[in-house]
Amino acid sequence: MNRFKFWLEQTMMISFAIFSGILIEGLVYKFVEGSPLSSFALSWYQILSVILTGAICSLPTILLLSDNEGFKTKFIVRVIIHCIGLYAAVSLIGWAFQWYTKIDGFIMVTIIFFMVYVFVWVVSLWFHKRDEDQINKALEDIRDKE
Amino acid sequence: MRVEIERVNSKDEETAVIKAVEITDEISGAVELLEGGNKSFAVSYEDNAYILKAEAVYYIESVDKKTFVYTKERCYDTKYRLYELETMLSGYFMRCSKSMIINLKKVRSVKSQMSGRIEATLLNDEVVVISRGYVKEVKRRLGL
Repeated sequence: MNRFKFWLEQTMMISFAIFSGILIEGLVYKFVEGSPLSSFALSWYQILSVILTGAICSLPTILLLSDNEGFKTKFIVRVIIHCIGLYAAVSLIGWAFQWYTKIDGFIMVTIIFFMVYVFVWVVSLWFHKRDEDQINKALEDIRDKE
Repeated sequence: MRVEIERVNSKDEETAVIKAVEITDEISGAVELLEGGNKSFAVSYEDNAYILKAEAVYYIESVDKKTFVYTKERCYDTKYRLYELETMLSGYFMRCSKSMIINLKKVRSVKSQMSGRIEATLLNDEVVVISRGYVKEVKRRLGL
């Protein structure tokens, strides 16, 4: 796959997942904690920072998870390194763009990060599974009989 | 285009006639698919030369600048480079990694891996890997 297209897809998927996480956070504020939504406002630079985070987090994804035949490290080890690396990057970006100022905010960012991480994996695996099913079905029509 | 299929009694009688105003990419692709199995090329096995029919090939692999052609039970050498065979065979023969061409007609099933690669189990139970970069092309060749 074209690397730029892969990067763009990943950026959109991660940004969408983060915005979904923020939406859930807003719903928690409103309906669980009973806080007014006016206290849950996002600044323009925070919105921009979400897209920036998506773009930045996609870069290690390309480097670590792309189909590089030169990589000999076990895939699961690469995923663990990838997850830790992204968590560190998100924590730093969150601190720089003031997604959190206190420990409870940091905990919320951590929860959202892992939710987004799992979401992106689930969607990717679902796409892979869909490809697998489609290909298997199409192969039935052309397979040689032996 | 209207397609008519007429049943015949033997393989020798099998013929495809295409009537078209012009030869489009789709028609060229269809011709390649139909002719694919009839193509053949020179190979060698234990110093003996053979002409191998493309339809017998499971996959072709390049190792240390040598090209090996795998059939159900044998592995032949060939003087052709991988890119030459890729052009020559086309149809359901396609590159599945930098060093391998696979015959999609010999794939029993595929299983996707977490990394996005696909493991293809061939009719002789061998397993080859289709790199993620080639999955889109596999789908295209299969008309998906």
